[in-house]
Amino acid sequence: MAESGPLIGIDLGTTNSLVATVQDGQPLIIKNRTGVPLTPSVVAVSKNGKRLVGGIAKRQAITNPQDTVSAAKRLIGRKFSSHPVQDALRALTYQVVCGAHDDVRIRLAGRDLAVPEVSAMILAELKADAEAHFGRPVTQAVITVPAYFNDGQRQATKDAGRIAGLEVLRIINEPTAAALAYGFGRTVNGKIAVLDLGGGTFDVSVLEINNGIFDVVATGGDTFLGGEDWDHRIIEWMVFGFAKEHGIDLRKDRMALQRLKDAAEKAKVELSSVKETQVHLPFICTPPGGGAALHLQSTLTREKLEDLTADLGERLVGITSEVLGEAKVRPSDLKEVILVGGMSRMPRIVEQVRQYFRREPCKGVHAEEVVALGAAIQAHALVAQEGELLLLDVTPQSMGVAIAGGYVRRLIPRNTTVPTSATEVFATSKDFQRTVKIMVLQGEHELAHHNELLGEFLLTGLREAPRGQVEIEVTFDINAEGIVSVSARDRDTGLRQSITVTASSGLTEDELRRIMDEQRDWLVTARASEELKTRRVELDILARDLVDALSRVRLLPGAGGLSPDVVTRAEQALDQARQVRGGEDVGALTRACEALSQSLPLLRSASPRGTPGR
Amino acid sequence: MNTLRARQLVEAGLLLRLSGDTPGAEKLFVRALELDPANARARQLLTLGGSASAAPANAAAPDLEGDWGAWADAASPGPAEPLPESVNLPEGTGTPGDALDLIAEAHRTQEFGLPESFSGTGPLPQGSEVETLLQGAEDLLTLDDHSGAVDLLRRAQSLAPEDPRVEALRDRSERILVGMLEARLGDLNRMPRVRLQPDDIIWLNLDHRAGFVLAQIDGAVSFDDLFALSGMSRLDTARILAQLLDEGIIAPGESPVSTRGG
Repeated sequence: MAESGPLIGIDLGTTNSLVATVQDGQPLIIKNRTGVPLTPSVVAVSKNGKRLVGGIAKRQAITNPQDTVSAAKRLIGRKFSSHPVQDALRALTYQVVCGAHDDVRIRLAGRDLAVPEVSAMILAELKADAEAHFGRPVTQAVITVPAYFNDGQRQATKDAGRIAGLEVLRIINEPTAAALAYGFGRTVNGKIAVLDLGGGTFDVSVLEINNGIFDVVATGGDTFLGGEDWDHRIIEWMVFGFAKEHGIDLRKDRMALQRLKDAAEKAKVELSSVKETQVHLPFICTPPGGGAALHLQSTLTREKLEDLTADLGERLVGITSEVLGEAKVRPSDLKEVILVGGMSRMPRIVEQVRQYFRREPCKGVHAEEVVALGAAIQAHALVAQEGELLLLDVTPQSMGVAIAGGYVRRLIPRNTTVPTSATEVFATSKDFQRTVKIMVLQGEHELAHHNELLGEFLLTGLREAPRGQVEIEVTFDINAEGIVSVSARDRDTGLRQSITVTASSGLTEDELRRIMDEQRDWLVTARASEELKTRRVELDILARDLVDALSRVRLLPGAGGLSPDVVTRAEQALDQARQVRGGEDVGALTRACEALSQSLPLLRSASPRGTPGR
Repeated sequence: MNTLRARQLVEAGLLLRLSGDTPGAEKLFVRALELDPANARARQLLTLGGSASAAPANAAAPDLEGDWGAWADAASPGPAEPLPESVNLPEGTGTPGDALDLIAEAHRTQEFGLPESFSGTGPLPQGSEVETLLQGAEDLLTLDDHSGAVDLLRRAQSLAPEDPRVEALRDRSERILVGMLEARLGDLNRMPRVRLQPDDIIWLNLDHRAGFVLAQIDGAVSFDDLFALSGMSRLDTARILAQLLDEGIIAPGESPVSTRGG
């Protein structure tokens, strides 16, 4: 591990991301450079080619939908042909194409980017925010992912961290991080439920905490239920009201829609703390026939919002009940219930959760911050070697092989601490079977085809015998780096075949290196361009001042007593400034600024009476 | 020749007036009268527009005083060349060697006028609305009315989208106009803020696009960011921002300590 610098914990969310750290023993959220804790997980390239990340990208999402990427987390580490990706495609406004290895590529401003590349832009933004906070480079982080993420998705998240210039110390589960933030590793032994209602997803997890060991015993939820659904209901309400009054459908105008979306989110947040709020959108649209622009003004009450979204709240409870039912956990079995995500601040949701669990849920002052805080606590513990808080690296999902009938035989259960190994003996399922196909699977479903296929190989040359008489020994080995080796050995002949499976994000090492190089180049160019811009602004200000000063001198009798030489030099400095301003040479711009700066005080020393004022 | 050109200018002026650019239209009528003092229509339109008092000299006054950025983008600095005949500083304005003189000098380095391949003084095919608009745009450019020229050129481009002359002139005019407008905004890293209360804003005379831009101004986004998130062209955004600034609806605000990483 590298020498310890500042450590950060990152909650890389579907809709919003946060970064936290532990400072003087206290976990705290690092605000971004616009002064807010949440950074929208949105990346865009504006029409003028500028890369935008976070709030600014979100604010132009509707007016520039093709070149704005949101919810990349739904796609990370997944195969293009997978069901979740195909489902997600229907809701995306940007273009997604299939990569060379059936991986997902996002088309942004004419370039096909791997999903980790896009996530890396968000991570880089958070890293930069943390660096602004600490005033020095930040290179190490713990990043959270949903408990249901498989190895490929976790690896892709790690790759995103690498691209962003971060050493990812550990990937931890979001519900575990939330529980850590509440200190449950120390105070609770037993089952807890974590309900995470974010902007676009709802995750329910049941954790079993046993002497500081966090075991995810059940996960579920709805990957298409989140705060945005509440926003849409408010938008519909506003659109309907406006249409009734003016006969105009605001959804047809992208600018209007962007403003409606921003206003809906603001109103929703406000209604968690007040009973009514004003929606005020002046000049929202111009009537089709022309004329003065119209305003949208209305009052939304909490009661009305609850009425508009009653079914969403019911869905939430239904999903929770389903996940607990599948895990055979009764609400009364739970020691604690944690509410996570900004949406869980909504009083109606808190009430519904309270009614269902018959207990008061834990909800910190800022429910959206607990996951990042937990990640920061874990990062700190990893480096400080605080054993009681140290989460062990575990297999996130079970691993096994496909067996006859299309079922799975699990050799390594989920949450097994790595490194680990397991061996099991199988027998042939057909008479005189000469070949056996070993399919290595990851997942929790009993049916093979519902699990992720990590790899497959053939063991040939088996002894011809009736079924069940040839024994094959299958061994799984997972080393500390999470690399899985699977071997199969014919116990009679000693013949052996094996496969090594490395979790892959869909990117090869070469691709990853190329992307990292590109990212470095981009950063260098961006910094140079920033400097160029700053110099030009400085030049403009100085030049304008010099033009003013020069005009004044020319109006003064005897040029204010200045020698003609001073005026000539000032004119030359202006000429030089004109010549270099359009160029890209920072050095030339700096020199031109210096020349202007030197002339300016001389001109300003001109005396109104015609003698130098100095 | 002058009679024909004056007639074209009157037509272009009428188009500008229809699009709401009355000052631009008046400039063209004045120019038409300069070329053809007997053009009764131009005189009549000027009078109707309530601009009888706007003497030709005044109409031609460039509004670039102190606008360093307006000319700073010039690609070919080089030694100053004589001003084109059509660029006349108002008579009696300033004294030799004053600020206006400097600005006029600056104009010499600017890429005003038509592309080299297009001869502004040569005969134009008659009867084409595109030619009329081009002619009007050229004249407006010589009068430093880039805004009006761009409006005419946009109209010309809608009529002749493939015409390279229109495209080249429009590109060039837009670039200069954007430069001028950005210079009015000042440091683009500054984060403007709204000066009016919400109750006062509704009484303004804005269209929905200006309303959209105004809604994005919250003291936390810079002018540069506003260009990115407006969803409009740089020129349209710059026009709106300059308008909001000129009318005192927004204030330029402060520069951030550090800019966003995007």
